[in-house]
Amino acid sequence: MHPLFRDPTYNRYLKRFIPASVIYAGAIVLASMLIPDHAKASPLTIGIALLPGLACTAMIWAMARLLVEMEDEYLRLIEIKKALIATGFALGVAATWGLLELYTDVPKLPVFLMFPIWCFGLAVGQLWLKVRDK
Amino acid sequence: MKNRLKVLRAERDWNQQDLANALGVSRQSVNAIETGKYDPSLPLAFRIADLFALPIEAIFLRD
Repeated sequence: MHPLFRDPTYNRYLKRFIPASVIYAGAIVLASMLIPDHAKASPLTIGIALLPGLACTAMIWAMARLLVEMEDEYLRLIEIKKALIATGFALGVAATWGLLELYTDVPKLPVFLMFPIWCFGLAVGQLWLKVRDK
Repeated sequence: MKNRLKVLRAERDWNQQDLANALGVSRQSVNAIETGKYDPSLPLAFRIADLFALPIEAIFLRD
């Protein structure tokens, strides 16, 4: 078992993150089923469409609490480095693709993809740190 | 920053996990400090010094 899974702080993180991600996935499915394409904004459609966003915010909060509550300073530094790499990666993708959208007719990148792109950046950060520290 | 952690640990016949448990940190932290990849904070350096009953400068050496 990875040492992180024995860490109570990490266990608390999983207890927060997993329900939020399950609600996120469920709310996406629910919103896709209940709201027809190009529906007008109404209190009902906005309310349903807000659910996945709120769940996504809860996932980000869980990640922030992990950084705040981690007591092992080295592991916390690693997580912070990963988050910084992910932030740079996501900002780089947003800036580059945004300028491509401005000057060419490439497809528009939906803004809601920024969080998954940031999470992909975490994996890039993990890989980068692993390769660098070998 | 260089340090004598690995030598001090070996003198006591401790493995990295033993030292990590004694310090209340992860084994990865001990490994990172021993290999010079990570310099501990001052509070952790004091904990290490207290554990080995040595002054900090006897464990961590100037480059």
